[in-house]
Amino acid sequence: LHPFIQQSVTSTCTGRIEPEEQSGHSEQRASPARLPFGKKQLPPIPKNAAPITKPASTGTLAPSANGTHASYGPFYLEYSLLAEFTLVIKQKLPGIYVQPSYKSALMWFGVIFIRHGLYQDGVFKFTVYIPDNYPDGECPKLVFDIPVFHPLVDPVSGELDVRRAFTKWRRNHNHIWQVLMYARTIFYKINTTEPLNPEAAVLYEKDVQLFKSKVVDSVKLCNSHLFDQPKMDDPYAISFSPWNPAVHEEAKERMFTYKRRPDDHHKGTQVSGLSWVKPGSMQPFSKDDSPPQS
Amino acid sequence: MASMVANGNPDGPSLVLKGVDPETCMIVFKNHWSQVVKILEKHDPLRGTSTLPSLSVLNLSGGPRFGPVPGDEASAVQNYVEHMLFLLMEEESGQAGAMGPILEFVVMENVMERLFVWSLRREFTDDMKLEQLKMYEMLAGQARQPLLHHKPILRPLIMLLSSCSGTAAPQVEAELVLLLNQLCCVLAKDPSILELFFHTSEDQGATNFLIFSLLIPFIHREGTVGQQARDALLLIMSLSAENERVAKHIAENTYFCPVLATGLSGLYSSLPTKLDFPSADWHCLHKEDWLRVPSLVQFLNSLEFCNAVIQVAHPDIRDQLVSYIYKGFLVPVLAPALHKLTLEEVMTTTAYLDLFLRTVSEPTLLQTFLSFILLHRHENVHILDTLVSRINTPFQLGTVSLALFRTLIGLYCEDVMLQLILRYLIPCNHMMLSQRRVVGERDCYSVSAAKILALTPSCCSPDHSPPPLRQLDSILFSKGAETPNNTSATEERESFVEDDDGSGNSCTIGSEIYLDVSYLHYLYDARLSISSCIKACQVWSAPYDGEDPPPEKYQPGVLEEPGLKSWQTQMAFKRVPHPLAPRPCPPPRTEPPSITQQELEWDDSYDACPVQTGQAPVEPKRPQPPPAEPPKHIQEMRKTAIMFVQGSYIEENEFQDDVMVYDLVAKKDTRDIESVRLKSSGSEPGSAEVPLKNGLSLTLPTSVMADKNTSDTKAKGQTDCNSHLQNTTAAEPGDELLAQYEELIRTLDTKAGGKQFRPDGEFKKPVTPAEEDEDEEEEEMDFTSFSAETPEPEKLQSPFGPKFGSGSVGRKTSAPFTGPFVSVLLSRLENMQSNTLQVNLLLTGILAQLAAYPQPLLRSFLLNTNLVFQPTVRSLYQVLATVKNQIEEQSATRTDFPELITAAQHWLLARETSLTAADDSRSSAHGEAARMRKSSPPPKPKAISLERTEVFATVLFTEFLKELAAIAQEHSILSYIPMEE
Repeated sequence: LHPFIQQSVTSTCTGRIEPEEQSGHSEQRASPARLPFGKKQLPPIPKNAAPITKPASTGTLAPSANGTHASYGPFYLEYSLLAEFTLVIKQKLPGIYVQPSYKSALMWFGVIFIRHGLYQDGVFKFTVYIPDNYPDGECPKLVFDIPVFHPLVDPVSGELDVRRAFTKWRRNHNHIWQVLMYARTIFYKINTTEPLNPEAAVLYEKDVQLFKSKVVDSVKLCNSHLFDQPKMDDPYAISFSPWNPAVHEEAKERMFTYKRRPDDHHKGTQVSGLSWVKPGSMQPFSKDDSPPQS
Repeated sequence: MASMVANGNPDGPSLVLKGVDPETCMIVFKNHWSQVVKILEKHDPLRGTSTLPSLSVLNLSGGPRFGPVPGDEASAVQNYVEHMLFLLMEEESGQAGAMGPILEFVVMENVMERLFVWSLRREFTDDMKLEQLKMYEMLAGQARQPLLHHKPILRPLIMLLSSCSGTAAPQVEAELVLLLNQLCCVLAKDPSILELFFHTSEDQGATNFLIFSLLIPFIHREGTVGQQARDALLLIMSLSAENERVAKHIAENTYFCPVLATGLSGLYSSLPTKLDFPSADWHCLHKEDWLRVPSLVQFLNSLEFCNAVIQVAHPDIRDQLVSYIYKGFLVPVLAPALHKLTLEEVMTTTAYLDLFLRTVSEPTLLQTFLSFILLHRHENVHILDTLVSRINTPFQLGTVSLALFRTLIGLYCEDVMLQLILRYLIPCNHMMLSQRRVVGERDCYSVSAAKILALTPSCCSPDHSPPPLRQLDSILFSKGAETPNNTSATEERESFVEDDDGSGNSCTIGSEIYLDVSYLHYLYDARLSISSCIKACQVWSAPYDGEDPPPEKYQPGVLEEPGLKSWQTQMAFKRVPHPLAPRPCPPPRTEPPSITQQELEWDDSYDACPVQTGQAPVEPKRPQPPPAEPPKHIQEMRKTAIMFVQGSYIEENEFQDDVMVYDLVAKKDTRDIESVRLKSSGSEPGSAEVPLKNGLSLTLPTSVMADKNTSDTKAKGQTDCNSHLQNTTAAEPGDELLAQYEELIRTLDTKAGGKQFRPDGEFKKPVTPAEEDEDEEEEEMDFTSFSAETPEPEKLQSPFGPKFGSGSVGRKTSAPFTGPFVSVLLSRLENMQSNTLQVNLLLTGILAQLAAYPQPLLRSFLLNTNLVFQPTVRSLYQVLATVKNQIEEQSATRTDFPELITAAQHWLLARETSLTAADDSRSSAHGEAARMRKSSPPPKPKAISLERTEVFATVLFTEFLKELAAIAQEHSILSYIPMEE
C-alpha cells in the first residue's frame, strides 16, 4: 500500500558506513510476496477506536451511534502511524533510522548511531512499541536490544525511561519522532535523577572515569553483537552484516544515486497542470505570454 | 501522355534498365527527344525562331492553337516522353552530386518546359492536367537525384500548379493534392529547395509560395484529399518553425490562419443544432457518439488540425491562428450558440464545447478556449457564469453542464480553479478569523475521515447488513504471525507474543474484524488521484495555503474583475439589448473633476447611480469598480428558479426560454421574501419594488427600503437587513427558513454588488421600470443629497464584527460567499435523493475531483470537518449531514428500504462489472470508484427501477462518504511526504 516507506528509509541512509539494510533490498526477495490488499497486518481493533472528535462546531450532527465508524478503526490507526512515520522522515534525525515491522505497524525497528561524546561509535539497535490505542494511550516504549549502560536505561530489559520526557502523551502535540529524538539526546546529555540504572547514575556522579570505562565496555559489547541475527524474526527487522562488496557495493551505489521522483510509483498517470496566472497577480491569464485577445 | 508512368508500373522499364550502361540510356534519351522535337517544331507557331516563347506571355487558359495536332503524332510524343521520363527517373546522380548526363541534357534543352508548352498548345483538358500532375508526382517522389533544384524543371512545375488552381474536377484535385503533398515531403527533407520555390514563384508575380496557397482551399476538406492536404500543410508548418521567411510569408501574405479559423465556424454551422440524445442519462459525447455524426467528425478533424498547427508552427503563425480562432470562431459563433433559445440547442452546444475541450491538447489552444470561457462576456455576462448557472437547470442541461465542468476541473488548470473556487477562498472570509491557522493543519489522526464516515446511513452500515457480492470479501485484520503462504490464516487466531526481550512488550493480540474491502480501493484511487494532482499543480503560481496569496491583499472585489482589458471589453458590451434599457443620465454635477472616463461611463448605464470617487479618501483602498453584472446574479436566479420549478411541474419543452426562468425566479423571490417578511415582522408596513436586471421586479422587505430615506449607509442597511433576518431565523429555526434566509442574503448581496450598492456606501432609491422616467429628476436629487452625506468610514464597521465584512476593507460588507460554483454544486448535492443516478455520479465525481486538489484552502474547505466556518457558509460536511438525515427519515418510514438498498447495490455492481469489461480500451481509471463513475448506458435494471432515485442516492451517498474519507486520509500522508529535490 505504501511503498514509499521502504524507499524513504533507504534514501535517508546516506551517512558513513551505515547498516546494511536487510529490509532495503535483499528483503524484497526474502520477504514473502504480499498481496496488494488484504494481507496487510494491522494491530487489533482498539475497543474504543472511535476517534474523539471535537464537538461539532456547527452542531449539525453527532456521529451516529451505530458504530459504523468503529469498523474503520484500523484504517485510522494505520494512517495515524503512517503520518507519524512521514513526520519522522521529515525530521531527518541525525543518526537515527527506523522502519515499521512487517507484522505490525505498531512495532518499529530502529538503530541509532552515536557520533561523538561519551558513547561515541555506539551503534544501538532498538524497538519502538506503540500502544494500540494510539494516539490516545500511553507514550510509546523504546527498548534497546542490548541494555546500554546508562542511567535511564533499564539494565535488564533495556527499556529507556521515555515517560519522564512525556508524562502524558498528548495527541497533536507529541509525536514519535520526539521519542526518537529523546533517545538520541540521552547519550549526549546525561541525566541521573530517578535512574532506572542506579549503578550508572551513581558512577556518573561519583566516578566519571569508571563510568566512562563502563560505557566503553558497553559500547564494545553492543557493537560486538551488531552482526547477530535480529532479535525479532521479522522480514523488516534491521540486520547488519560485514561489508561484502558483492552484496553491498551495488546497494550502496543505488543508495547514493537514488532520487525519489514523485511519479515513480504511478507510471502511466502522465499529467501536467496548466497555469497562466502571473505569480502574485491572482488574475487568470495574466502571464506575459498570454496571447492578446480582444 | 505518361500514362504508363503515371499508372505507377515501374517494374517493366526499370527491370529493363538494370545493368544498362548510362551512355546507352543517354543515347536513347537523346534519340527520343529529337523525335519529339520534330513533332513539336512542326506545330510550333514560332517555328524557325530558336528562342522559346516566354511562358509568361502565354495565356494559359486558352493558348494559341494552330490547328489540331494529329492523333498519331500526339501518341507518338506520349510514347517517347514515357520512355524519357523513366530514363530520367532511373538515372543516378553523377560524381559528387553532379547532375547525371540525362538530367543535364533535360536542363540544357529545357525539355520539361517545352513539353508543358506543347501540352498547352493542344487542348489543355483535365485529363492532360491529370497526366502532367502524375508525371511530376512520379518525378518528385521517385527520382534518384534531386530534380527540383533546377529551374528548368521547377518552372514548368509551378506553371502546371498554377494552371490547376481553382480547378473543379475531383480527380484533378486529388492528384494535385497528392503532388503537393509529395512536394512538401521533398521540402521537409531538403529545405534548401524552399528558397527556389519562393524565387520561382516570384517570377510569376502573383502568388508567392504557390504550393502553400494551393493547399489552403483543401484545409477543411473531408476524406483522403483533406487529410493529405492537412498533412502537407503540417509539414510546411514545421518548416516555418525554423524558417523565419516561411513563417513571415504565411502570417503576413496568406489567408492561412483566417481560413483555418473561419473554416471552423463554417463547419460548426453545419453541425446538428440538436442531437438525438440516446437516453435521459446521456451527458457527454463519447467517441462512439460523435463517430456517427459525419459533420462532427469533420469539425473535429479541423480542430485537431488547428491543434497540430499550433503545436508545430512558428510562434507568429501560432499566435495569429489562436487570435483568429478566438475572434473568428469562439466569440462570434460559439458564444451565441451557447445562448440559443431552446434547451436542446444549448445542451447540444454545451456538449460540443465539452468535446472540443477534450479534443484540444495543445496548451496554447486550450488557453484560448479557456480564456473564452473564463473571461469573455456575452451580453455582459461571463460565459463561465452562464455555464455555472446552468448546472442548476433541471433536466438534461444540468447534467450536460456538470459533465463540462468535470472536464474543466480535470485539466488541473490554475486559472480555471482560481475563477471557479479559489478566488472566493483566498480572502479566508468563509471561515472564522481564528481558523486561518487551521487551514494548513494536518489531520494526523484521520479525524475528518472518521467524521465523514460517521455519516454513513444506518441502513447502509456494513455492521448491519453486509454489502453484496464482491464487497463480501472483507479484509481480516488479524494480528497473527501468519505466513502469507498460509492463505487460510484468515480464520486463525494466533497470538504473536514476544518472548525474547522479557519486557512483556506485546503489541499484538489476536483480534479480527471484517471490513468493507472496497475501502481499500478507495484509498488506492485516492492515492493515485491526489498524487497526480499534486504533480500537476507544481506548475501553479501559488500554493493557496491561506498565506500565499495573502488573504488581506485579495479581499472580495479585488479579484472580481479580470483586469482592465476585459473591463474595457465589458464596456463595449454595455449597451447590448437589455430588458431594462439603460437611459442617458445627466452628468452628475457633484462629481469631482478627477473622475475617470470609465467611471463616468459606468455611471451612465446604471441608473444614475453615482460613483463617488470624490470621497476616495474615505476608503482605505479603492478597489476596481464592482463588476457590471455580478456573476452570482444570474446563477442565483436560476437556482431559485429550479427550486420553484420543482414545486410546480413544468413540461420540459415548455422550459425553453431563459425569460421564463427569470420570471419564475421573480415570482419565487417575491413569495420568499414576503414569507420572510411576514414571519419576521408584521409591523413593517409595506414593500418596495426593486428592479432586477431582467426587467422584472423583486419585492423587498421594507426594512431594507426604510434605509433609503435615511442618510444611512448602504452598508448599514445591509447589516440591518442581515441582523433583522438573523433574528427571524433565531426565532424560528427551521431548515427551510434558514435556506430562504441564506438565499435572500445572497440575493441582496448580489444585487447590491451589481446595481445599487456603491463602494462608499450610498444607497440608491429603487424604482420599478415604469417609474423610471418620471423619477429621473428626483433621483438626481436623491443622489446629490446622499453624496453630501456620505458616511464616515467608521460607520461602515459592521456591528457584527468579523462576521460580516471582516477584513473587507469597508468596500463590501457582504456575507461570506464561497462562490457560485461551490454553492450550486452543494445545493444540487443536497437534493441527491431526487437526482437521477447520472447526476449524482457526476456530482460526486466532481466533488471527489475537487477534494483531491492539494491546495490547503480547497482541501480544508471541503474535507476539514473541524474548521469553523462563518454561519452563512455552507460546508460540504453540512450538506452531507443534511442528506444523511433525509436518508434516515426515508429509511425509517419505509419497511422495504433495506431490500431496495440491496437490490440497488447489486444493480450498481452489475453495471460496474459490465462497464469494466467493456471499458478496458479507454479506461484511464484504476479502481472501483472511478469505474463506478464511468458512464454509458447501463444494463437493464433487474429488481429495481431507476426511478427509485432515493434508493440509488442512498447507496451512492454511502460510497461517496468512503471516497471522501479515503481522500482525506491520503491527504494526511501524501501532502506531507518530503520531496527530495
